[in-house]
Amino acid sequence: MSFEYHEPPSVSEAVALAARFGSEARFLAGGTDLIVQINRGKLAPRHVVSLHRVPGLDTIAVDGHVTLGALVTHRALERSPHFQGRYRGLVEGAQVVGGHQVRNVGTVGGNIVNASPAADVVPVLLALDAAVTCLGPEGERTLPLEEFLVGPGQTQRRPEELLTTVRFPLLGPNSATAFLKAGRRKAMEISVVCVAARMTLDAGLERCREARIALGAVAPTTLRARAAEHVLEGEVPRAELLRRAGALAARACQPISDVRASSQFRRLLVETLVPRVLARCLERIREEGR
Amino acid sequence: MAPELRVVGKPLPRVDAYGKVTGKTVYAADFTLPGMLFGKVLRGTEPHARIVRIDARRALTLPGVRAVISAADVADVRYGGALKDETVFAREKVRYVGQPVAAVAAATSEAAEAALAAIDVVYDPLPAVFDVEGALAPGAPLVHEAWETYSAIPILYREGNICNRARILAGDVERGLAEADRVFEHRFTTRMVHQGYTEPRAAVAAWDSAGQVTVWSNTQLPFEVQNTLAEILQLPPSRIRILVPGIGGGFGGKLRVGVEHFAALLARKTGRPVRVITTSEEELTAAYPRQGTIVELKTGVTRDGRLTGKQGRIFFDTGAFAGSGPGVASVATLILAGPYCIPNLHLEGYAVYTNKTNCGSFRAPSGPQANFAVESQMDIIADALGMDPLDLRLRNIVREGDEGPTGQLLTGVGLEECLRRAADAIGWNDRRPGPSRGKGIACGWWTTTGGSSGVYVKINPDGTVALNTGAAEIGTGALTGAAQVLAEQLSVELSDINLVSADTYSTPFDFGAQGSRTAFSVGNACRAAAADLRRQLFALASRQLGVEPDALELRERHVVAGGKRVSLADLSRLSQQSGGGLIAHGTFIAPPTPYDTKRVEAHVYPAFHSPSFHAHAVDLAVDPETGEVTLHRYVVAQDVGFALNPTYVEGQIEGGVAQGVGQALSEEIVYENGRVVNPNLTDYKMPTTLDLPRIESILVQHPSAVGPYGAKGVGEPPNIEPPAAVANAVAAAIGVRITSLPITAEKIVMALRKETP
Repeated sequence: MSFEYHEPPSVSEAVALAARFGSEARFLAGGTDLIVQINRGKLAPRHVVSLHRVPGLDTIAVDGHVTLGALVTHRALERSPHFQGRYRGLVEGAQVVGGHQVRNVGTVGGNIVNASPAADVVPVLLALDAAVTCLGPEGERTLPLEEFLVGPGQTQRRPEELLTTVRFPLLGPNSATAFLKAGRRKAMEISVVCVAARMTLDAGLERCREARIALGAVAPTTLRARAAEHVLEGEVPRAELLRRAGALAARACQPISDVRASSQFRRLLVETLVPRVLARCLERIREEGR
Repeated sequence: MAPELRVVGKPLPRVDAYGKVTGKTVYAADFTLPGMLFGKVLRGTEPHARIVRIDARRALTLPGVRAVISAADVADVRYGGALKDETVFAREKVRYVGQPVAAVAAATSEAAEAALAAIDVVYDPLPAVFDVEGALAPGAPLVHEAWETYSAIPILYREGNICNRARILAGDVERGLAEADRVFEHRFTTRMVHQGYTEPRAAVAAWDSAGQVTVWSNTQLPFEVQNTLAEILQLPPSRIRILVPGIGGGFGGKLRVGVEHFAALLARKTGRPVRVITTSEEELTAAYPRQGTIVELKTGVTRDGRLTGKQGRIFFDTGAFAGSGPGVASVATLILAGPYCIPNLHLEGYAVYTNKTNCGSFRAPSGPQANFAVESQMDIIADALGMDPLDLRLRNIVREGDEGPTGQLLTGVGLEECLRRAADAIGWNDRRPGPSRGKGIACGWWTTTGGSSGVYVKINPDGTVALNTGAAEIGTGALTGAAQVLAEQLSVELSDINLVSADTYSTPFDFGAQGSRTAFSVGNACRAAAADLRRQLFALASRQLGVEPDALELRERHVVAGGKRVSLADLSRLSQQSGGGLIAHGTFIAPPTPYDTKRVEAHVYPAFHSPSFHAHAVDLAVDPETGEVTLHRYVVAQDVGFALNPTYVEGQIEGGVAQGVGQALSEEIVYENGRVVNPNLTDYKMPTTLDLPRIESILVQHPSAVGPYGAKGVGEPPNIEPPAAVANAVAAAIGVRITSLPITAEKIVMALRKETP
């Protein structure tokens, strides 16, 4: 394997290189997916465009929105003081990606464009209604994360486009997020199933105003379980209702059987984990309310 | 009164610690020589196929490629252990996906990879056998159609795809089962698992102008590799020098020739040093993993819990070559008997060929698989009789002076103490402390493997001591234990001992780092050498001090008689001036363990030398909805005879348990139609620290009559009981018994759903 290595000093030059080489080029962020795929012979880019010298892509900005630069690492997400409260699910997703070494270098942008259906941060971002921004030779475009994800390893990103930021709206009061994952071991694990949820309750902390449920490793892409969300909205989220949401989510997914688990087991895990992750959101909202 | 011990039995830092924690130790994988080439192995892609053609012409034209070799380039010899069925490269046909077909040497690792891709091999697929049942079915294709022509040790029982059937026959099993009030029949299965050593197998070979080849290898058995290379290269062993630098773990996976032969052959062909290192994929598809098994047990028991007879069969899926299979199948029968007094036994161990990778030895070979079955069934029996599983065991275990399954006399038996202390520590009186929470116990026994050890011990002119041993330190701390024995005996400190090890050219013979024997055997050889050196020292000191040798003793680096003393350093210098220096050759071979030869057939390992006994207890919780198992506490009470260094004995226990928990809960090499579908460390799941609780070790010490200071082998045993202990605790927690390893979350959930629809 051999490739030409580029270190552009700016976003525009990075995009210019990508435009020049098209599908023969790959962007290098943390490299925790790209390098592995090159080593395994699954990818053989002629040009590798490193983003390490590009300034400004590793910032977390919180104003009217939360904006994550594509090069924000999983470690940075875990450690960020912004995400310890309502956004706790983001920390929970980030802190179970690979091991410490992977989290120190692996990036949110990379996790998204790698488009693994088992990505751990992506379901949390979906639950947060995140949108991604890509910059190409023709300028910027922003699209919902859900639309951006097309299939395993496939996104709407064009080869000459660079994913620059992920953005999601601030959570109001009476909101919380949570993330849960099942695997064969307790660390260094690719999810057999992962689930993320966001819930917002009304002012009286009784009824669910808004719910988001996202599922990982049970379909070609991370996906929203809309029927399960709808059954919650406007209702009092009692345990029975959470279980119904779990059953609806299990019906919404289309898992495969592979060496990690059977499709039947994956479905059962969704049915179990969705009520749990919702219950965790409710606990968090009530804790914050106290 | 015995003198107080100064060095042995103390938790001293190991002699190789500094180099390893500072990263200074050179491992085989680090080894580089000027002009060195990189070797890679082309591996077969069919489970069973005739090789129609190998065409390397294109590969040889690629830049940097120096040589391509295949079966045509090597002598047509078959090598192996008890059964010689292996070849360096596939000849005429391939027998598993991953079998070496050719090897290349190139200037860079990438060039070697490119060359592999450019070799064209045409296969003509043949019907294959993928598991034991398929291999034993009537009319099954033969993995080795010419099996009868292979040379083997004569005692093996072989037939078609069976490369050994070992038996223990004691008493009359029909009568034993007829005498029982209840007879229990169960079937258990286990999967193939890898040793999981950190450093892949690696070797660097270089030939000199005199036609001698030197190989730096991370092997556990340098002298065995020397002999195997002699067969492969058709050279006398003296032309082959094996050196062992640091080893990043072995656990039995580095006993047999791994990549040394490829390095040596490629180096000979190219005239350049060659390094070969395996990849993770090669490790998981073409190494020497632990065999998957099927175990069938039929056990008779009286109403009050006395075992009357046991009929058992264990089938090892040994892969395309016998490897350790014939021996492992033999050892297994002793484990099937269990550490129990059962008057009537009919136990069989089968090693069966299939079209899979060649399985080998893995820390207590056969122990975990057979013990999982035996100890799971003990709990099933206890439940059925309404007995406490601990009581059922205590009613049947072997005690001091009892007979082993093949009639050996058992001494130094600490099993009852192990069981009682493990049970006490885990809080056995409260076996189900909460919903979906349970405790399990399992016990077993194991051998301290024999084989001889030699050491040269030299006293240096500064009074320090050089210990020269053919054994390799594979990370267990065993040579620290042996050095502690030597230091104790010579009245020096552990830090006074300098270790030279594992160089077939200059170190004395050692049977190798296998079978929990290194500290035991090398320690005893050190005792012998120390006794000789005492004689030499006392003879010199006697003249020097004018005191009879009988009146002398060794104390604090001196020979002492009343108020008179002379240092070891002075005596060493004196000897160098007058007698060629102080040196001794100490040797040890474990005495044979008598057994009843009429009770065994085709048995390679009929008795356990200086056996150790152990009990494991675990407290865990199961999430009944997700199947997730969380271990809360894990206790091991192991009869180690005498702990030469408690720290490293505990280290062995902790590591053995971690590895055993892997097999219990998560690890398996998964084959589908003869191909491994998880050949990477992403999907081959070894446990992480988060999967394990702190492991609590209780060192029980019922001394062995033979071991140094009463020590027994400690390295392998802790790997035996974890699957059974975990299975029993899971059953206690959820009321459902999983009879196949690994006990995955999915199996638990599915079993629970079947139980409660």
